[in-house]
Amino acid sequence: MSTTAPTAQQVPTPETVPVRTRKRKHRRANPWGVVAWIAALGFFFPVFWMVLTAFKQEADAYSDPPKFFFTPTLDQFRAVFDTGVGVSLLNSAFATGVSTILVLLLGVPAAFALSLRPVRKTKDALFFFISTKMLPIVAAIIPLYVIVANIGLLDNIWALIILYTAMNLPIAVWMMRSFFLEVPGELLEAASMDGANLWTSVREVILPLVSPGIAATALICVIFSWNEFFFAVNLTAVQAQTIPVFLVGFITGEGLYWARLSAAATMAALPVVLAGWLAQNKLVRGLSFGAIK
Amino acid sequence: MAEITYRNASCLYENSDTLAVDSLNLDIQDGEFVVLVGPSGSGKSTALRMLAGLEDIDEGSISIGGRDMVGVPSKDRDIAMVFQNYALYPNKTVAENMGFALKMRGVGADERRRKVEQAAKLLDLTDYLDRKPAKLSGGQRQRVAMGRAIVREPQVFCMDEPLSNLDAKLRVQTRTQIAALQRRLGTTTVYVTHDQVEAMTMGDRVAVLRGGKLQQFSSPTELYDRPANAFVAGFIGSPAMNLLDARIVDGGVQIGSTVVDVERDRIASLHRAGLETVTVGIRPEQLEITDGDGVETIVELVEELGSESYVYTRVARSDTPLVARSLTRTPARLADTIRLRKREGTVHLFHPATGERVGD
Amino acid sequence: MTTLAVGASTADDSERIRRVRDAKSDAVSRAEGWRRRGPLLPALIFMIVVTQIPFAFTLYYSTQSWNLVRPGSRSFVGLQNYADVFRDSQFREVAVNTVILIVGTVLISVVLGLLLALLLDRVFLGRGIVRTLLITPFLVTPVAGALIWKTAMFDPVFGIVNFVLSPFGVGQIDWVSRYPLAAVMANLVWQWTPFMMLLILAGLQSMPRDILEAGRVDGAGAFALFRELTLPHLRRFIELGAVLGAIHLVNTFDAIYMMTQGGPGTASSNLPFYIYQRAFLGFDIGQAAAMGVVVVVATIVVATVALRLIFTSFTGKEEAA
Repeated sequence: MSTTAPTAQQVPTPETVPVRTRKRKHRRANPWGVVAWIAALGFFFPVFWMVLTAFKQEADAYSDPPKFFFTPTLDQFRAVFDTGVGVSLLNSAFATGVSTILVLLLGVPAAFALSLRPVRKTKDALFFFISTKMLPIVAAIIPLYVIVANIGLLDNIWALIILYTAMNLPIAVWMMRSFFLEVPGELLEAASMDGANLWTSVREVILPLVSPGIAATALICVIFSWNEFFFAVNLTAVQAQTIPVFLVGFITGEGLYWARLSAAATMAALPVVLAGWLAQNKLVRGLSFGAIK
Repeated sequence: MAEITYRNASCLYENSDTLAVDSLNLDIQDGEFVVLVGPSGSGKSTALRMLAGLEDIDEGSISIGGRDMVGVPSKDRDIAMVFQNYALYPNKTVAENMGFALKMRGVGADERRRKVEQAAKLLDLTDYLDRKPAKLSGGQRQRVAMGRAIVREPQVFCMDEPLSNLDAKLRVQTRTQIAALQRRLGTTTVYVTHDQVEAMTMGDRVAVLRGGKLQQFSSPTELYDRPANAFVAGFIGSPAMNLLDARIVDGGVQIGSTVVDVERDRIASLHRAGLETVTVGIRPEQLEITDGDGVETIVELVEELGSESYVYTRVARSDTPLVARSLTRTPARLADTIRLRKREGTVHLFHPATGERVGD
Repeated sequence: MTTLAVGASTADDSERIRRVRDAKSDAVSRAEGWRRRGPLLPALIFMIVVTQIPFAFTLYYSTQSWNLVRPGSRSFVGLQNYADVFRDSQFREVAVNTVILIVGTVLISVVLGLLLALLLDRVFLGRGIVRTLLITPFLVTPVAGALIWKTAMFDPVFGIVNFVLSPFGVGQIDWVSRYPLAAVMANLVWQWTPFMMLLILAGLQSMPRDILEAGRVDGAGAFALFRELTLPHLRRFIELGAVLGAIHLVNTFDAIYMMTQGGPGTASSNLPFYIYQRAFLGFDIGQAAAMGVVVVVATIVVATVALRLIFTSFTGKEEAA
């Protein structure tokens, strides 16, 4: 039977092969990339403009046509600090931090119970959690105000902490459950064959695997808590004021000082934006995991 | 006519300087069943995908029916492909999966249904036409993947390890069905596998690839009887051929302290090539256990398969392994010292450095 | 020797299975059940206390005629508040606004998110930076975002929108006054498109590539691939995005508070804002509570209908690849 493969004598050895130019595989430049860039710049522009304006003198901020070039200054930021933004920042940080910790403390065991050790009525409990998110919070604000006032927690940061925990817990449970579901059952089986009890398995096997997911969940809780406005504006006044409330108060007081407003807005938004940027992959993972599972 | 020609076809790995396929030359005839076989990374899947239009032909050309395929997109090549993981459309029923390509070509619904039902009958899928892939077993999904290819009546079938996800018994069963189907339909088929048993039993001709380069392209018998190099010799046949270093002496080759006879004209051609040592290939079935003269070996493992046994030994006072086949039960026991002798028949000789077949 | 077992009578089989099953459920002890449910309880109890009790109070208040401005006039009036709510034409208008806001924002941001996700699915130079820039609107504090839109973008004199549109002959339009609902919607779409984009992008990237290859070999062009294969796969993700987005958008408050205060009149007010006005500015607790209950009931009804009819993904069905 004839073959078309070279026989022993005809194998091209490296010396006999004529030097050919090997075509390097070019990644063909994607023309749609340009469109993507335009879209991205367009979406980002408002934020960019806000930050830019924060560095302007008031006169520069008010110009028609808008000014792109000017001498930057930090005066606006200084002015904002002088009006006491520090307290609000601290309040926001405190409320965000403590409520996120509470969410994790309550949510991780709950997610665990709902995923790795399914009980009867798992679906019911899950649905209950989700349903709490579906109810418009405005329906509860009146009695909440009354209750909070009666307990004496008005204008107290702890009222916000409790509410933020309740606000984020359903999302956190839902997200972390999906991360727990990702853990292959065989790992737990292997661990118990190796002699680990449940608690040790959780600590040594599950938590390391799930920790990126927990970080993602925490990040999302931070974002929602920091940016929350409705409860804050209704239940706080001066002492427990969070940064969004400060911002609003700043406006009514300093109505037309755009540059200063921009500086205040920048400071309000900056921490979470930076956190989101830095932990971007976690954020994306957290959001998309809710989808995939 | 759907003959396929690879002419110096090459393909670079993405972002790399390594060639996945290196100057492949194949002439496949119309209606032939050709198997591309080789270990992982040998380029066999890439070569197939180049044919299907899923990988670029970076250099050289591939033509089907005389038409050059460089620059032609997959959808215009009239090739049907069966993927390793079946790649069934999850949101469509079996019938819709099988009819998809026809729909893309604008075939009417009635004609589509007719063709789909025809193919379904051939593959015993008629009861499952309205189910979605998620509700099918692995074997059923495999048949749907085949059905999707058959319905199109293409000029070429490409199959990328279609049996690798099936359990062993189903694999053997399906193997024969595919071969029978291809004979019946007469469509040129290029089939990729890493399993040399599949290659040997299914192909009219088999191309052995390694590291992107073609090693040999012949019929299964020729591959078995006249492997073109040591790699092919060791790849085809299970257990693998014994490959041993030997010194060329008068009248034969010396392995250890034993001389194996080799025809005089072959020895002469070895001398002409300037060789002093040579790699000798002896298949396990060419060795037999003897009480007389032979290579002394120590038994390390005995595999009894019921129909035959394989004795894995090590040559005494050396590291050289030697595997022999025996047709008797319990031919030897562990740690026994036995003597192995070559049966009648000729050995394979390979160049000690390049591995190419020599001494013909 | 293997026995070729002829099928034993099925009655024996089902009897045996029943016995084994009974033995099994006895094995899982009561304590084990509680141990399994235990970790769930703190979270569950917390949520019930913090969310259900206030709602119970809302129900109670809705049956009261209670205006804080007139102390001492509080009395039980049954369903009178509800009747007033349904007769309130402003309430109807505000309800319509709410629906417009939700539906409009979801539709536009899903479409934009889909387009952006398609763009981001391919590799190009600076793709990571582009994604970073695109998710920013979602991260920015909504109040700050609304502020930027109101001032820097929409201001009649100094706003960027008018600046960009001026070559097209657009004068100094006061967007926020003339088109208040649209202005709020622009802000909301800006804020929510990144969210939709991320979800849809996750969907695109979770799609097995060999199915697309199979489609190509089967003769499908780019558009057919998208319509027949990609879009059905994405449906789950789009649904999820739409549902989650809608749920959050029901509560839209920050943007309206900041941009228009609901005005002019109630032209850009939505239900939460309207109720807020009634309660905290008008001090009419009873009415506000009744409105709140109506909103809750409406949301439940719509959600159940929507979930049942359209959305399959919430019931946990998954399509295998």
